[in-house]
Amino acid sequence: MKQTRTSRSEAQHNEIDRILATEDALVPSSGFLASVMDHVQEEAAAPAPIPFPWKQALPGAIVAVGAFGAGAFEMVRQGLPTASEFALTAPHLSVAMEQPLEQAGWVALALGVSLFSWLVSKRFAGRSGLL
Amino acid sequence: MTTTTNAAEDLADVDRVLAGDVQAFEGIVRRWQGPLVNMAWRYCRDRSRAEELAQEAFVRAWRGLAGWRRDSSFSTWLFALAANVCRSDLKRFPTVTVPVDEALEPSRPATQHHALAAQQSSDSVRRAVLALPARYREPVILFYFHEMDVAAAARTMGLPEGTLKARLSRARALLRSRFPHLEGEHEAMEFVELNTGKEAGR
Repeated sequence: MKQTRTSRSEAQHNEIDRILATEDALVPSSGFLASVMDHVQEEAAAPAPIPFPWKQALPGAIVAVGAFGAGAFEMVRQGLPTASEFALTAPHLSVAMEQPLEQAGWVALALGVSLFSWLVSKRFAGRSGLL
Repeated sequence: MTTTTNAAEDLADVDRVLAGDVQAFEGIVRRWQGPLVNMAWRYCRDRSRAEELAQEAFVRAWRGLAGWRRDSSFSTWLFALAANVCRSDLKRFPTVTVPVDEALEPSRPATQHHALAAQQSSDSVRRAVLALPARYREPVILFYFHEMDVAAAARTMGLPEGTLKARLSRARALLRSRFPHLEGEHEAMEFVELNTGKEAGR
């Protein structure tokens, strides 16, 4: 009878396969099914989560994105500050000093956007009964 | 029960659940409780924790049933979800294991009763699997859970088959280096089986 000799690693490989593949199956405990179904029933009975009010939030989001876009556009139009301007040297305030009205306009816009956001948030909070 | 029957029943039950029949989920749990508990058991080797993990997997399956896209079988989706639950849980609360190099190696089988030695050897190898690094441990767990089906294990892990094979190969190399006595044991078993066969043939 011709007996084939397996290599050392193949023999180990087969033995590891045999050990790991022949594991006894675990039977779930008798109450497992009932326990799972209890949890599922609880989940089903729970009220549905309040959906995010996209319809009401959309105008606010559009305004915010628009304001951000306009700000970014304005920054690009006026020229982005270079790295040297961020250096820890004496701050350059000359631009702000030269165009005080324009700066005041931006500050007013920022305050307006903040106020609008606050009002919208307050309105949503009031509707959901949090306030 | 065939796989085809299971798949058809799963599909019918899922449709009923999505139509509002909560009780139809029981059929799904009944069919898959055994595989899911066994899968979780292979991850943690703790019976009560395995049941908790399987339960969490079923509850998440319930919540996400509408998200099953039906481009793969329900069982593939469920196993992938359960593997995810086990993986996340073990990441947060790892099982108490020793590094694979420090896993206890049983004494050689020739010095003990064969069955007892084989049992010890098997336990050691299974414990050593849990001590493997995570990236090699999971392919081993899922490969043997899926009865050595590389494709099924790869689907459950969401990995390409080639990657899974490479990790599996590395994991086996680690196990082989840890248990060099297994070759001798294998040959001893072959010898015993051969002799048993001769005895029976006389």
